[in-house]
Amino acid sequence: MVFAVVIIGQLLAFVLTLAPLSLDQQRWNDLALISLFIQWNGLLCSSVLCLLRPTLKKYSNQFAAASSYLTLLLVLTLCSELSFYIMEYYQMTEIITAASHWEFLLHNLLIGGIISALALRYFYIQYQWRVKMQAETCTKLQLLQARIRPHFLFNSMNTIASLTRTNPEVAERITEDLAELFRTLFRDDQQMIPWASELQLSERYIDIEKQRLGERLEIIWQIDAIPVDAMVPSLLLQPLLENAIFHGIEPEINGGTIKVIGAMNNNQLTITLQNTNSKNLVHRQGNKMALANIRERLSSHFPGNAAIECREQDDVYYVKLTLPYISQQIDEER
Amino acid sequence: MKILIADDEPLARERLSQLVSEIDADYIPVLAANGLEAIEQVNEVEPEVVLMDIRMPGMNGLEAAQHLVKMDNPPAIIFTTAYDEYALQAFETQAVDYLLKPIRKERLEKALSNCGKLNKLQLEQMGQQNPEVAFRTHISAQIRGTILLVAIKDIYCFLADQKYISVKYIKEGVIAETIIEDTLKSLEEEFADDFLRIHRNALIRKNKIEALQKQEDGRFLLKLADMEEGLEVSRRHLSSVRKLMKS
Repeated sequence: MVFAVVIIGQLLAFVLTLAPLSLDQQRWNDLALISLFIQWNGLLCSSVLCLLRPTLKKYSNQFAAASSYLTLLLVLTLCSELSFYIMEYYQMTEIITAASHWEFLLHNLLIGGIISALALRYFYIQYQWRVKMQAETCTKLQLLQARIRPHFLFNSMNTIASLTRTNPEVAERITEDLAELFRTLFRDDQQMIPWASELQLSERYIDIEKQRLGERLEIIWQIDAIPVDAMVPSLLLQPLLENAIFHGIEPEINGGTIKVIGAMNNNQLTITLQNTNSKNLVHRQGNKMALANIRERLSSHFPGNAAIECREQDDVYYVKLTLPYISQQIDEER
Repeated sequence: MKILIADDEPLARERLSQLVSEIDADYIPVLAANGLEAIEQVNEVEPEVVLMDIRMPGMNGLEAAQHLVKMDNPPAIIFTTAYDEYALQAFETQAVDYLLKPIRKERLEKALSNCGKLNKLQLEQMGQQNPEVAFRTHISAQIRGTILLVAIKDIYCFLADQKYISVKYIKEGVIAETIIEDTLKSLEEEFADDFLRIHRNALIRKNKIEALQKQEDGRFLLKLADMEEGLEVSRRHLSSVRKLMKS
């Protein structure tokens, strides 16, 4: 930042020197003096702001900006006064005779006020850009975690490690399932896929989890009513199944049952997920990201025409998805 | 040496038990599927080492470990976990031994050959760093070298008695009693949702209150469901009892 201040200051010195049309020997002498004055000011201002940083940090951005600006003007006034007296003392009259004391101060304050406003603005924009960059990287990571829990990955690896000894064929299949699942996860999620593909992916996911949880996980599919060519956002069902396992199956010693029921009425698809809600889940931190993410994608694909609702009744947790039926053919024609 | 493997996933248990037997033919693996089973097995077979998964249904590994370290001669405990952001930090800061799944054989061998004993302080601090798993579902008492577990939901009241606390709970339809070492103050804080302080020496389960009776001498007795004798309510706690009974 200090380097930027030095550069801005030096550029300002050049501008001020070049501004009058005549360029004689005297101008270059002035440049030296102007540079000295500006750099002195710029560095002094920077150090004062650095010293004030811990204090200003506690306040809002607006307040910090306003007080920094006023501080800069104050430092500038002090510098101008000081330099005026120095010049008067050494009788460098050729510079100060041209202007009275007050004109000198006003001149400096106006130029300084404009330039420091621009400089502050520049630093503010740079700061905002940095904050935005950080936020973006953060959301991307969160998005991935909303789609899959790191726990799942490492548990699956452990399952594979165990199966490799006892049942290499199943280990092979689970590895393939896992690869397929992660391929979809890493893909851009802005696309629609046929229900048959989403179902297959979900079944692969359940296959992996079944190896891990054994008899504790039971799943009932009643989804024949949904046409296989219906287009749905990819990864619509899998995150919901993951939630159901996390909240309904894992915390229970005896596990539980997940039920997936599909229906179609007047070209409207409804998919309902049911799982017994564990009473031990009170302390289990939920992951609302998955639901929010699905809701967002549904509304971007079918604006105003799709919904996701959750409710709990008699210890059973329901998630209901509603979306219009668009066949693969119609989707391609669109 | 007997090694108890506590993990809710059958395949994870299987792999660990194979690894353990491969490392040393003298190592005998014993299996448990959750924290409750782990404590039963510790009572029964007295293993020297417990490999304890953190996330298990029924009772998680951290709580099971808390009950175990209260024993006079507790087994060494090594935690195992697949991925726990918070827990890992806690392990590091408390210098507690842990293994990450899938567990490497060499790493397991090393851990088994020099496992130290956990202490209560380490566990308590791990609990503070892991709000997600740091709640007790049971209290434990030690009886002749074994651990007796009482589910919090079965407890009717805690009564302070000189040095100890007597716990009244329901067991197979009858009220039973056991003695634990703890303080009413910490129990009151920990179970504030379900229990209410009614006297300097009594903490009772809120949903077991039946009636508040005024005695001839002006004292108030609180009658709990299934329990014969009433418990005295002190003047200081009378208003909170009345408030609860009205709501």
